[in-house]
Amino acid sequence: MTIMTQIYAIGGGKGGSGKSFLTANLGALFARQGHNTVLVDLDLGGSNLHSLLGFRQVKKGLNSYLNKSVSDLSAVAVPTEIPNLHLISSVDCSLEIGNLFYAQKVKIINAIHRLPFDIVLIDLGAGSTYNVLDFFLSAHEGIFVFTPEPTSIQNTVQFIKAIYLRKVKQILKHYAFSNVVNELARESEAGLVRSPLDIVDRVMVKDPDRGKLLEKELHRLVFKLVLNQYRKHIDETLGNKIEKVCNRHFYAGFQFLGNVTHDERVHNSVLAKTIFVNKYPYTPTSTDLKHTAEMMLQKPGKKSSAIGKYGEI
Amino acid sequence: MERFEDLNYYELLEIPVNASPFEIRQAYRYALSIYEEDSMISDSFFSDEERNAILHRIEEAFSTLIDKSQRVVYDKELTDAGVIDASLPEKGKPKSKGPIPLFSLKKTGGQKSLFARVKNRIEKKDFTEISREILSKNLISGKDLERLRKHVGIAVDEIFEVTRISLKILTAIESDDVASLPRTFYLKNFLKAYAELFNLDSGKVIDGYLENIAYLNNRK
Repeated sequence: MTIMTQIYAIGGGKGGSGKSFLTANLGALFARQGHNTVLVDLDLGGSNLHSLLGFRQVKKGLNSYLNKSVSDLSAVAVPTEIPNLHLISSVDCSLEIGNLFYAQKVKIINAIHRLPFDIVLIDLGAGSTYNVLDFFLSAHEGIFVFTPEPTSIQNTVQFIKAIYLRKVKQILKHYAFSNVVNELARESEAGLVRSPLDIVDRVMVKDPDRGKLLEKELHRLVFKLVLNQYRKHIDETLGNKIEKVCNRHFYAGFQFLGNVTHDERVHNSVLAKTIFVNKYPYTPTSTDLKHTAEMMLQKPGKKSSAIGKYGEI
Repeated sequence: MERFEDLNYYELLEIPVNASPFEIRQAYRYALSIYEEDSMISDSFFSDEERNAILHRIEEAFSTLIDKSQRVVYDKELTDAGVIDASLPEKGKPKSKGPIPLFSLKKTGGQKSLFARVKNRIEKKDFTEISREILSKNLISGKDLERLRKHVGIAVDEIFEVTRISLKILTAIESDDVASLPRTFYLKNFLKAYAELFNLDSGKVIDGYLENIAYLNNRK
């Protein structure tokens, strides 16, 4: 049992890559292991996590908390058919919830951090709007879900870069590097700064002490990668390669959790409104999901192969 | 974290400093599979210029390390810069694996071969007196050989392990068992091996032994 609440955000840029599917199934697996788990549907304006869990409609949800009919977010966590598994849906919210106010966003983030559960899984929507980025960054660990298609990888990389840029800006703001930020803003308008990495580099050059601080803060970020809808005849090291490139070219730690095999029956489980790992427990896909869940809970013992070190000789 | 641009060629290809050409080739291919133009990954991560710069560095790393003379020069540069330990490039070079001798499976790793160990024990022992005495005789019997062997402190099995003369023949030789001895041609070779193991003059041993056999035969 974890003493502290562990919050995972599941995102990944492209729609249809299986973020909600993964959230629901990982949640079911954690719950089965005895972890008191809650799923939070923060795909605002596109909530459908409840459908995967067998709900036709959810009476109370995030909206009840936002309109202050309940004072505590945990009051709207409804139990599901699966023991230990709860859901906070956002299907009751208005159709315009996609454009969340800043204050509401902060309120939700703070409320999530106070939830009395062992594990919180946040299901995010597609795209890289500020809301999505901030929810993603508010979690202890972020999980990027992508599928083995160029479009998905492109969107994921864009999402990673967007997340990264947002974080860099947050850190700069937090440590009141405002003069650096202003300078950089001017430079980015002039087209000098192309990517978030450039910003880090500029800070390092301009102000090495603060650059160190920035690097240290960024190093604390933990990102995980999951390759969903993995099919045969695809390079099975694709995920590892992406992990490597991320670790090499971003100042943050990335870990590839594994492939989740594509299965036609996922469609059936969605139609049947049953969690896949419960409906088809003995399939390669379920095994992959279990493996992924185990990897998520594993304490980062030894660091994944840090580059710049020589192999053992 | 080190910048990608600052990685040395070994770090770039993620290989140890003592990597073999085979490993270098493999690492090169792996790196290409990530960064080359058709790769799903590099498309999303890098602009064309960035990718070309990276590919150029990989190409440079590969062509330097795969060329023996260029690699030596590069290693020297790294050593001089203090990046790598001078002993590294040579020390860890993987030895090519030879065939494993069939009969030395008992041998444990790190130990000298049995042959070397037995030879070593023979060399350490001083037995010039007894060997001179044996060689001075006209007839050399199996008993003499056995006496010498026991004096030096070598077991029959060890002679077998070193010379590969079968135990049956060795005992036959040492006990002058004329009926069990092999044909003269083979016997000569066996005696030669036996004698050379103890640094004896093999010619004298063979002559003496054969004469002794002839003497024994005549006596019958």
